[in-house]
Amino acid sequence: MIIDHLEEPLPGSSLKPTPPGEAYTDPEIFAREQEHIFERQWNCVLRADSLSTAGQWKTATIGREEIILVRTRKSGIAAYFNVCRHRGMRVCTTGEGRNKTLQCGYHAWTYGLDGELVAAPNLTSMPDVDRQEYGLKSVHVREWLGYVWVCLAEDPPSFEDTVLGEVRTSFGEVESIDNYGIENLACGETKTYDVQANWKLIIENFMECYHCATIHPELTEVIPEFADGLASQRAGGQVHGASFGGEVEGFTVDGSSGVSELPAVAPDQERKYYAITVRPQVFINTVPDHVIIHRMFPISESRTTVVCDWLFLPEVVEQINAGTLDVSKSVELFHRVNQQDFNACELTQPSMSSTAYRGGGALVPSEHHIAEFHSWWYESIGMPTASSSEGPAAEAEAVAEHAAEDVVEDAGENSAEASSAVRSTP
Amino acid sequence: MSFRVCSLQDLTPGEGLRIDSISPPIAIFMTEEGEIHALDDTCTHQDASLAAGWVEDCRVECPLHESTFSLRTGAVDQPPAKRGVRVHEVEVDGDDVLVELSQDAPNLPPGVTV
Repeated sequence: MIIDHLEEPLPGSSLKPTPPGEAYTDPEIFAREQEHIFERQWNCVLRADSLSTAGQWKTATIGREEIILVRTRKSGIAAYFNVCRHRGMRVCTTGEGRNKTLQCGYHAWTYGLDGELVAAPNLTSMPDVDRQEYGLKSVHVREWLGYVWVCLAEDPPSFEDTVLGEVRTSFGEVESIDNYGIENLACGETKTYDVQANWKLIIENFMECYHCATIHPELTEVIPEFADGLASQRAGGQVHGASFGGEVEGFTVDGSSGVSELPAVAPDQERKYYAITVRPQVFINTVPDHVIIHRMFPISESRTTVVCDWLFLPEVVEQINAGTLDVSKSVELFHRVNQQDFNACELTQPSMSSTAYRGGGALVPSEHHIAEFHSWWYESIGMPTASSSEGPAAEAEAVAEHAAEDVVEDAGENSAEASSAVRSTP
Repeated sequence: MSFRVCSLQDLTPGEGLRIDSISPPIAIFMTEEGEIHALDDTCTHQDASLAAGWVEDCRVECPLHESTFSLRTGAVDQPPAKRGVRVHEVEVDGDDVLVELSQDAPNLPPGVTV
């Protein structure tokens, strides 16, 4: 009796459709997602403090591109396509390192940390070769919340509008995300999950809490209200901090007390859990004493790497590193949530190619806000929905037939609501 | 006989400046400590500009293959370069950087001639 959970009965059907199964299995659709979503929008790639000294670099794969992120001597972190401008060999051929220059191992074309071509055999006798023009092709970079965000597009969408503004608006002014001072936190634990599931299943899972009481017993002990199936995000994007249970002392696996509270957390935030999705690949979870940030890196249509960081006050992390403070109960709670969620996604993925799921599945009322994500997805990859049947129909592939049918009910009310950040819970 | 090659304002601490109006070209380096040195700009192993190299501990590392040269003596520390570069006398007169070129024969790499 799902409808009983809502304050008012919904007009029309209780169920809204999902995209068809092949949206989660078709390599061609995945290629479109890489091109139109991950290669065009802002991606959160790594922690800025993981590149602590000049010359330190790491490589990362965004969409179908490999990029180099490097700390320069004077201008912060820069990012480049990992492609030598001479004959195209990978310039950096291991995952990370520290060098004074970035040198291609083929003909020794050598780039400064700020990207310009500084040396190459016989370059001095080729004075017409422009050092900037033949420098490494750069990628747009922003730092926020202590992370490096990159956008591969030549003309990126506004970071202020698509990331900052949406996240701040989503949290609101009083229960501001700024209160957590995330940019000043340090990383106490990182876990990487190799999930055999499409990235959209992971986002959809994170956005709703209809599953919480079934697969997250520990989380539901700490936040009993999750048993009602409603996520932080409510109809119309309303803000909702989910309250800890009365006996619960902290956001830990057994409800015992956590560590030092973040100093600027507002009274309303002191015993609450908040979570948002920053499309296309970030989840931010906040509790009074720590912050959990997920970064997703889609590998294929059926495989996604998820990196999860647990952030605490720097003095807490110093004690963790010194072995004088144990945060394992704090880490264990969301580590279990992650394992439970990703297991559910992995058991869902194989069914996406079943004939029984060809037309997609259903969203119950407490999941209806996921349709906003679906509308954003259709719009992002240029798939027509019912409200945009005059769109790039020529590009529409087989899935479009299902898509147009499936979103016919909700496209009208949701197509204008696409935004980059939406409230959610695991 | 010394002559003006650049002004102090043309130099950046920790970096080199290639002067190619002279043949073979020379490089003027200002260390982070403010010392100024003049060396032949071309690595003795392969044609590369030392002015583009990494300056640290009063040495410059060739940007191509990791041989480093002393800014004071021009001596090389490790292969693949085997011969040092010439050093030139530097004098600072107000804002002007003056250089008196070495009379020794330069140690140029294969394929590079004066």
